[in-house]
Amino acid sequence: MDDLNPLAGTAHLLEEVDKKLMVLLRDGRTLIGYLRSVDQFANLVLQRTIERIHVGNEYGDIPRGVFIIRGENVVLLGEIDREKEQKLPLKEISVDEILDAQRREQEQRQEKHRLVSKALKERGLAVDANIINEDFC
Amino acid sequence: MLPLSLLKTAQSHPMLVELKNGETYNGHLVSCDSWMNINLRDVICTSKDGDRFWRMPECYIRGSTIKYLRIPDEVIDMVKEDAQAKSRNRTEMNKNRGGNSSQNQRGGGGGGRPGGGNRNNAGNRSGQGYGGGPSNNAMRLGGAAGQQGNRLPHAAKNNRK
Repeated sequence: MDDLNPLAGTAHLLEEVDKKLMVLLRDGRTLIGYLRSVDQFANLVLQRTIERIHVGNEYGDIPRGVFIIRGENVVLLGEIDREKEQKLPLKEISVDEILDAQRREQEQRQEKHRLVSKALKERGLAVDANIINEDFC
Repeated sequence: MLPLSLLKTAQSHPMLVELKNGETYNGHLVSCDSWMNINLRDVICTSKDGDRFWRMPECYIRGSTIKYLRIPDEVIDMVKEDAQAKSRNRTEMNKNRGGNSSQNQRGGGGGGRPGGGNRNNAGNRSGQGYGGGPSNNAMRLGGAAGQQGNRLPHAAKNNRK
């Protein structure tokens, strides 16, 4: 690629502008919205964004509006295929239900981690809880 | 319109800033720079788990700690109006330049900028909540932060609903 191009590296992101994208953040959240702008840091502007929460094969959408995302927090992004979007093998449920499901899933995970670290402790191993919490800070 | 230009356009508007560590800051944008460092006014800080709150009259946030910012929908509309006004201006300027070229004039100071002032008409939509943040607990703001009284302009509404 032309080294003099100030947008080298983000140039192909320009082709995604005004498309409907799914953006995965480093904290695990999934945002879906229309990409309106990018810059040389891959900072993004998303419009009409929803946050989609998946638990098992169910999902729920929370309307969020306009985002300016700092590029370094993005893991991946990709265009949404409008045809495939119509026939998702997933079931949409209400926001309250998905939040409830997410909370239960979180509690289960914590319980599992508690048991794992207890077992490890009994065997004389100390584990930093933050590591197994998959917490990105 | 680059992301940072949009941020600049959002000055004086309410916004939600989430940091990489999960804390969220709700406030009105005072200023920002090209590193995304920002100044906020009338701020409510929410902890990562969403059940502790702090109010502060103003705060400064270093750009590199930011995860994302959420701004009101109408800010993007303002940008569109601005762009339209500018392109209208440009076509008018071009017309004028064409007309003046025979008269020995340099067209530098040509005309004001009609339509450039749309910016302030958008106003803040007070009903829109920027209190969501990382957790679904923004509703608890009213109860948990009783000492904050009624001065919770936009954070108290739960936009999960």
